Amino acid sequence: MSQVAESSHAPTSTGIDHKKLIMWLFLASDCMFFGTLISTHLLYRKLYPTGFTDAEGHQRFIQNLFNIELTSFSTFILLMSSFLMALAVSAMHKGQIKSFRRNILGVIFFGLIFLGCQVYEFTHFLHQGLTIQNSVFGSTFYVLTGTHGTHVAIGVLWLIILYFYSFTGKLVGHMGALDVEIAGLYWHFVDIVWIIIFTAVYLVEYLGPTGFWGTGLPLTK
Amino acid sequence: MSHAATDHNLATEEIRRYHHFITLALWLAAITGVEIVLIFLPVSLSIILTVLCVLSAIKFFAVILWFMHLIYDHRLLFWIFIAGMGLAFATFTALLSLFAVDRIDTKWFS
Repeated sequence: MSQVAESSHAPTSTGIDHKKLIMWLFLASDCMFFGTLISTHLLYRKLYPTGFTDAEGHQRFIQNLFNIELTSFSTFILLMSSFLMALAVSAMHKGQIKSFRRNILGVIFFGLIFLGCQVYEFTHFLHQGLTIQNSVFGSTFYVLTGTHGTHVAIGVLWLIILYFYSFTGKLVGHMGALDVEIAGLYWHFVDIVWIIIFTAVYLVEYLGPTGFWGTGLPLTK
Repeated sequence: MSHAATDHNLATEEIRRYHHFITLALWLAAITGVEIVLIFLPVSLSIILTVLCVLSAIKFFAVILWFMHLIYDHRLLFWIFIAGMGLAFATFTALLSLFAVDRIDTKWFS
């Protein structure tokens, strides 16, 4: 274990700060939560590979809904926000509050861009006739990506509060750095969940000449 | 070790981490780019799927080990997270095994 980690631990029975331990326990439980949601989506995608019927009674195909450029952009944005978050945590450990504020503003900005992309995607899908009620795909997709989006929104809110809290002068020293580190853990977790969703929900739809789930529909739009 | 020497070590450690973060961010962006290109290649579906899973796993572990500091932190935290992830993966495997059929006959629901 590094000297940095050793010297920053509070004197607890486990040698780990309680706040950090609780956050890791929460992330482990959230892992199971998202694991179940992703499993459910993939399972029902396998069982019901065809599309859905829109409000006008037309049969629609799932593959035509996705916009890989938009999703790739969102993924890139979220990955870069994770990088800025790591820099923000590092800045707090070094006691560089101005650098922390700059990086945290970047994370908030990228988080808002990601949320904007998700709102655009949901609106586009709704215009195409996909609702949470009219198909199994709609139900599992909106619940999974909506839950992730909610996590991102909570993360953005948390970081905004931390940003303004840093101006009170109370976000200093070891405890201040720990608070930022815990917010960072949550943000990185949101990022790793999206890494899995990006592959399991989006990229998989483009595999093979007729889509991974074998609907018989050519992917050319 | 004196207080000044400890501070110097901490600063050196943070600078080293800073360089790791930049390198990692570039690698993550590059891997995502490779994933996007892969799905359009006319290669066997099973090969692409395997490569996509491996690349996702690399990105996943890179973030939890370096960005989330698990590589520098207490081992217990690593095992706590692995336990949650293991249970999630076990649920995934169990569900796919339970419903290992090609498609449901919808006449049962009509």
